[in-house]
Amino acid sequence: MSNWSLRTGSVLVTLSIFLFWQVVTASGLVQPIFLPSPSSTFTNLWQGLTRGDLFGLTAATMERMIYGWMLASLGGILLGAMVGLSPRARYWLTPTLELLRPLPASTLLPVGIALFGLQPGMLLGIIAFGAVWPVLLPTIHGFSAIDPRLREVARNLGIGPLAFAIKFGLPNALPDVVAGMRLSLTACLIITVVGEMITAQEGLGATIMMAARSFRSVDLYTGIILLGVVGAINNTLLGFIERALMPWRAGRS
Amino acid sequence: MNHVGSFPARANEASATPAIAFDDIRLELGGKCIIDGLSFAVAPGEFACIVGPSGCGKTTLLRLVTGLLSPSRGEVRRFGDAVQGPSRDVAIVFQDYGRALLPWRTAAGNIALAFEAMNTPRHERAERIAVLLDKVGLTGHGNKYPAQLSGGMQQRVQIARCLAQQPRILLMDEPFGALDALTRQDLQDEIAGLIRDSGATALFVTHDLDEAIYLGDRVFALEANPGRLAEIIDVGLARPRNQLQTREHPEFLRLRHVLFDHVQKTH
Amino acid sequence: MSRRRIEVLLHALPAWLVPLCLLGSVEIAMRVSGIQSDGLALPSQIAGALVAAIADGEIFLRTAETIGAISLGVPVGGMLGLLLGVWLGLSPRAARLASLSIELFRPIPPVAVIPLMMLIYGLGIRMEASIVAFACFWPTLLLSRDAVLGVEPRLIEVARMLGLSYRKQITKIALPAALPRIFTAVRLTLGIALIVAVTTEIAANPFGLGYAIISAGLSLRPEVMYAFLIWLAILGWLLNAGLIALHHRLFGQAYGDVA
Repeated sequence: MSNWSLRTGSVLVTLSIFLFWQVVTASGLVQPIFLPSPSSTFTNLWQGLTRGDLFGLTAATMERMIYGWMLASLGGILLGAMVGLSPRARYWLTPTLELLRPLPASTLLPVGIALFGLQPGMLLGIIAFGAVWPVLLPTIHGFSAIDPRLREVARNLGIGPLAFAIKFGLPNALPDVVAGMRLSLTACLIITVVGEMITAQEGLGATIMMAARSFRSVDLYTGIILLGVVGAINNTLLGFIERALMPWRAGRS
Repeated sequence: MNHVGSFPARANEASATPAIAFDDIRLELGGKCIIDGLSFAVAPGEFACIVGPSGCGKTTLLRLVTGLLSPSRGEVRRFGDAVQGPSRDVAIVFQDYGRALLPWRTAAGNIALAFEAMNTPRHERAERIAVLLDKVGLTGHGNKYPAQLSGGMQQRVQIARCLAQQPRILLMDEPFGALDALTRQDLQDEIAGLIRDSGATALFVTHDLDEAIYLGDRVFALEANPGRLAEIIDVGLARPRNQLQTREHPEFLRLRHVLFDHVQKTH
Repeated sequence: MSRRRIEVLLHALPAWLVPLCLLGSVEIAMRVSGIQSDGLALPSQIAGALVAAIADGEIFLRTAETIGAISLGVPVGGMLGLLLGVWLGLSPRAARLASLSIELFRPIPPVAVIPLMMLIYGLGIRMEASIVAFACFWPTLLLSRDAVLGVEPRLIEVARMLGLSYRKQITKIALPAALPRIFTAVRLTLGIALIVAVTTEIAANPFGLGYAIISAGLSLRPEVMYAFLIWLAILGWLLNAGLIALHHRLFGQAYGDVA
């Protein structure tokens, strides 16, 4: 099958899924309260974005998430670089950090709330706090695992420690750092949404929670779609960052 | 240690300070004695090749010259001075070029690394990089990343980076071992020309006996367990050498025999 | 203590000495400064709360609830994902046809589905299990698809040369070759399941370890909150270590490495 026909086939498969969805709701097999029709969902989506406040809500969630992510990445990279470049710090600190690794990002939410309270401004800090961990460990690893051959090259050329950290350590760490930032962004989205649900801050999380509680399924599904869009935007954003920061990986299979 | 036949020591060796001198070197690593009682000298501007079975310490020997390893006993000297540590006028070309180049820099960027380390004025760098790229036959490939270059081209980039240091001593650790036969031949001729033009002293480690005779002015044959010098073979073949004619020359074939017999004995 | 034991302890020195010193200095610092906060607790108090929760069995109850939801959700989501993923891996054509649909639906974060399942099932174990199933479906699908796609093509060539039937190619060559990576996919999925279950409990469901953590935090009992957090970390660590050990046992000899 040709490339072109596979592409159209892919689109057809997707369309038939939506068609199936429409048929199921129209036939009355499932109650609209559990599964609204695609037509009503997408109409609601369109109206909410153009005339309603859906756009503002989505923007609020994304803003919180991205700011928290940038803070977390900055802190995580600086800390991770310092630990990663020092074999002693790595030796003493990494095992303890590994013990903390299995904790889900969302578990830091209760801790953050207990420590900082439920005020609006605090949510950002809590998000940043929770999202530091996914970027910390990969960064440490990235700065530590430099090929010994490259270390020899640096020593032979007489390159000093600061120049080494910048010219060798940082680029070498980039793939791991970016991978960590990807995990961190995912964690940020989760913490943001759950945080909004718990603290009822204005945003998509609180909106869909309220929609579910008031049995407004169309609003609920609309919100879910929007969160999916946010997730897709995150992926695209990270793709850009990867290509921009690591142009040398473009040619690899 | 034998001299093969009655080849005299190089005429000017006694008078000039050797570029590299190993003086009764003993090296122990990880509890094992790798090298013991190794003594030899390489004259300035000479192209010396080192061959020997695995375990004779050929690669470790180069690290002793760079100063990244220190002998357990004895002294290594560069131009008369005892080796204290790495120096910018000693460059080393590694066999695993893939690991010795910075994957995140282009070919030109990798060569630039040497200039950055030497604090060469910025405005000079671009031109000197272009000259080096031309010397190793990579004009036009300067802005490619190592991943986009073939094995032979990557090795050329490494050689260019080493030449950027304008080294007095160029060490090479089986540099062509990972390349196919045709590329190897091309690079052999190129490196012979580059060394001759730069006037540097070359110490070239290889397991390929033919390569050692083809490239070298002298071949140092080591034996293993522990590593020590077994034979010095003078290669009196005319330069510039030619892949076809030199390799068919009766003298070349005789030297091959000699070297081959030696290797048989020490295995 | 035997010589061997001492060696092992010394080898793992950073792992236990650093946390101990950290906790010790936190304890001293907090006592000395007399700091009071609804969000902080003395390490000694945390230890006490942990012991108490173990003694009265509450910790095991909560753990059982969380694990119950996971054991319900993982098989459903994981099995669906595995079957679909293996099928897509075996048939690159089907994989291409499904690609757009997968790319459209997969960015939906599992947390977004929490209110939906709450709407359908109310609160309790079924709601949580469905969210876990949804969360497990995608990674299992994608990773097992990649595991099958990533089978060394040379092996398939060999199978063809030997004249093996299509079915035998799959059962004798493709699936065994993909098995270690599929197992890794399962391991990662179980990790995700734990995370999603606890997240659901924190967000909405009054059930399990996550609920214990958030309710302790909100009712101003920080020592209980931290105690459950530590327990959760230990649980997660044990789960991962156990699965890695299992991977070694099953695949170590024949395949030579752990993904």
